Amino acid sequence: MTLPAAVTPPTKADRELLAFANSAEFAARDLYAAAAALPAFNDEEKAMLVGFHDHHRAAGQALAGTVGALATNVRSDDVFNAFRGRIQGSDKNSVLDALRELENTLANTHLSLVGALGGTEGAALVASILNIQARQSAALAILAGRSLDDALINGAESLAPGVGS
Amino acid sequence: MNRFSRRDVLRLGGAGAAGVLLAACGKQAGVEESKNVKSVGVMPEAEGLSNVEVTDIVLLRTAASLEYNAIDTYEAALGLGVFTGAFAAAGDIAKRLRDDHRGHADAINGLVTQLGGKPFTCGNPRLNEIYISPALALITDADNENPALDVVVLAHALENLAAQTYQGVVTLLSDKALRQAAMTIGQDEARHAAVLAQALNPGIAGVLPSVNEATGKPNVATVPGAFGPLTPISVTVGPVNADGTRNSLILETPSLNSLAYDDVTCA
Repeated sequence: MTLPAAVTPPTKADRELLAFANSAEFAARDLYAAAAALPAFNDEEKAMLVGFHDHHRAAGQALAGTVGALATNVRSDDVFNAFRGRIQGSDKNSVLDALRELENTLANTHLSLVGALGGTEGAALVASILNIQARQSAALAILAGRSLDDALINGAESLAPGVGS
Repeated sequence: MNRFSRRDVLRLGGAGAAGVLLAACGKQAGVEESKNVKSVGVMPEAEGLSNVEVTDIVLLRTAASLEYNAIDTYEAALGLGVFTGAFAAAGDIAKRLRDDHRGHADAINGLVTQLGGKPFTCGNPRLNEIYISPALALITDADNENPALDVVVLAHALENLAAQTYQGVVTLLSDKALRQAAMTIGQDEARHAAVLAQALNPGIAGVLPSVNEATGKPNVATVPGAFGPLTPISVTVGPVNADGTRNSLILETPSLNSLAYDDVTCA
């Protein structure tokens, strides 16, 4: 019996891509913190937003663990500023829609990273983060009362690796 | 004249009896030789495992087999006629997800063909045997009080299994482009699982992990954690047994004994 090769560590190029993902995750963390601070959301809704905030923080930290000293552990201001303007006001569903677009953007960004990373260790971590962000996107669509297509289809553009880090 | 004591006579007699016994155990006329360990009767030849390779093609054929498992399960569920009344919307979702799986199967088999492999166009036989058939038998049991709910429970488990499978093969596929293709579909399966989780435990209370205070067991969560799990999936379906319990199946992603190797075919 011949088995596939063992898990391979990140290459130097991988670490740069994973550092980019690290900064994007911390931008998402801060955007959820902004959303959870909005008075429009009740305690139960805030608890969910804080939960998603924690997931992005955990993702950022895990990515930092794989890239070591290359991790900035600082949010990408480009990603943060691209969404921050929509995380405000009293229209909860509009905010949830913005957060869903954020999740979809990150999910497709991670998808592009899976196709770019040479080492499987980093690719496996990114894949596990991607699967959760797809679920978070679907949950946000359902909670905002959007269509089944909105929950199932990700039409967002991925962020270009290296941009916004 | 030799004299034998009573002890000597008994000793010689014992040795003679042992010799007779050993002779009886030896090669006898008309008894087939066997390469197996010494045993009573004739045993079949031991069959070794074929020399298989876990290649990208095998991993993708296995993924395709899971897609057909899902298609078949949704077909079976729709055929039960249980999606009525409060479950009518679940029927519409089931049709949509079945169609998605058909698209996934075609996409995966397209990759298999590109790589020079033979497409796999049926459900994984091993998973059918150990998971899906037993689950459907429990669900369709005449004593089962809520087959419609159980069908959604099984579908949710299979979507989780598919999402985990695609996530899991990322470390096994040798080609980066194939990893990305796998996760393109893996993302879809994760979304399917999320939609069905919301059908089972709706609203904001069902999004993050929680515990049923009455039973102490975890509730279905739309988002089970910060990272996609690769853990076994428990499915409880079917009628209540005499002792008040219900049967549970533990689903695991395909492993070495359930991969769609090159010599595995659809019967």
